[in-house]
Amino acid sequence: MIASDRIRISTQRPTEFVDLTSRLQRAVEKAGLQDGRIHLQSLHTTLGLTVNENEQLLLADLEALLKRLAPDEATYLHDDFSLRSNAPDNEPVNGHAHARNLLLQPSLTVLVEGGELLLGSWQAIFAVELDGPRTREIALQLEGSFGRQPVNGPRRLIELELERQLHPDPASVGDPMRRLVEAGGKRIRPYLALLTSRLGPEHDPLRAATLAAAVELIHAATLVHDDYVDESPRRRGRPTVAAAEGPARAVAVGDYYFAKATRLIAELGNADVTSTIAMAMEAICRSQIDDLELRGRYPGDEEAYLRVVRGKTAALIAASCAAGAQLSGASPEVLERVRRYGEAIGIAFQMTDDVVDFSERSGKPLGQDIRERVLSLPLIYAIENAEVGAEIEGLLVGELPDEQLRLVVELVDRSGALERVNRQAQDLVQLAIRELDGVDLDGVKSTLVEIAESVVDRHA
Amino acid sequence: MIVADELEAIEPLWKSGLEAAYSAFREATAGLEAQRADKVALAAALVEVALDLQRLGRSAPPAADLLRGDLCLARASRLLADTRDQRLQVSFARAIEEQSAAAAAQLSARPTRDRLLQAIADAR
Repeated sequence: MIASDRIRISTQRPTEFVDLTSRLQRAVEKAGLQDGRIHLQSLHTTLGLTVNENEQLLLADLEALLKRLAPDEATYLHDDFSLRSNAPDNEPVNGHAHARNLLLQPSLTVLVEGGELLLGSWQAIFAVELDGPRTREIALQLEGSFGRQPVNGPRRLIELELERQLHPDPASVGDPMRRLVEAGGKRIRPYLALLTSRLGPEHDPLRAATLAAAVELIHAATLVHDDYVDESPRRRGRPTVAAAEGPARAVAVGDYYFAKATRLIAELGNADVTSTIAMAMEAICRSQIDDLELRGRYPGDEEAYLRVVRGKTAALIAASCAAGAQLSGASPEVLERVRRYGEAIGIAFQMTDDVVDFSERSGKPLGQDIRERVLSLPLIYAIENAEVGAEIEGLLVGELPDEQLRLVVELVDRSGALERVNRQAQDLVQLAIRELDGVDLDGVKSTLVEIAESVVDRHA
Repeated sequence: MIVADELEAIEPLWKSGLEAAYSAFREATAGLEAQRADKVALAAALVEVALDLQRLGRSAPPAADLLRGDLCLARASRLLADTRDQRLQVSFARAIEEQSAAAAAQLSARPTRDRLLQAIADAR
């Protein structure tokens, strides 16, 4: 059996060693590969791969070595565009980068045993940027014997609690919600609530599981109503509740689970948690109204975009972090740090989602957000671009047949907006990770860092 | 004063049903401390208006009305959270659960106002 995946990175410097080891381990876990191999392949001619030690001075040595062997200032015929008949207008001067790539490899294979990458103590797997900053993609193929997905305690607890909470509900509301929940989802909000519920002295896994299920039900309820508003036919590969059951029932299902989640949280008996979630719900609903109104002035501007995203996506992620900490009686400083962490990754999450909309391999129809006039930061930035902005604006007027939509996607790509949004998302993730410094996070810091990194490491 | 602060983004609803509903619920909350009574009465009025705006149990509403209804429900929830009264929070949530489950099953339900007045009485 073979599974495929992609890793996307945004580099910040002309030459940069990006350690992929933890992301590759996650890819192995995600695929459930027990014993076999993971193959990596760079999809670029100026991005190489290598295995070496992740030690900063050594990496500086290796960078210096690359520069000595293929200096920037040497003459490269590749850079003499007068000699080349088909060089595109935006061709970079990068003969040195191609030459340095000779010293690296375009592909690598690493063995996997017992679900773990087989690496020596000092070995790390690097992508080596030779012509950055850029957004890069590395293809993965995993082959071998795939066992069951490793049982991950917190995630299993979330699924069990969701099942338990949905079980007694009337079929008229419970069945459609169960289908939506069983269709999947990243569960980022409940997972964060569970993790942060370990940060205080009053940690209680069962109460934390109830909170986690409640925040996921709030999220699911917003999706049910959103899909009706957006007239979306499918969600997570299945018909939406509105499409399957009719819009009137979708309204009732959303209302039921807003109320049920509110009740579950109230029954926890922690007034601060109740307030935190209630304020987040209000922020979500307020921003959804803004979002709908902004569609009349599509594509809007960065300020409006951030206002909507803070409410629509980041508010519940931040509240999940904060509420978990409050439930456990964590200190005010820890509470505030994880809340800010949640807000930053929430915004980064949405920005990455926007970029994924421009990918052929996203699993969604290409440019669906643009077709549905959903706010999109890459589109806002592309319209600011002097070269392509006016053309995109012209294309957005009226209907968008497939050919025009594809042209909009190409123009956005050409404008550099996707790289700009990726960089901003990466910066927010770094900001989120810095929020975790200097406070006692009782062993969950590394998982919170991984979650933050995974937010921008999504291909679909 | 509390009411004026809580109408952001839903101002037009005040004259089209919210004010009348608030007055009716304000009578039912007369026994509570004044500020709490205002919040509970407004929360109840917001729930009643929300379910009406969203045409619960009838044909689906326009998208804008659905979202305004969601905002009313969320604001009601936050007002109840402000009161820090767990019994009221649970009682109101159960009322909405009952109304929406009945609507989803196309069954008739008690009028929302009766159900909310009962919720206020239960929580006393």
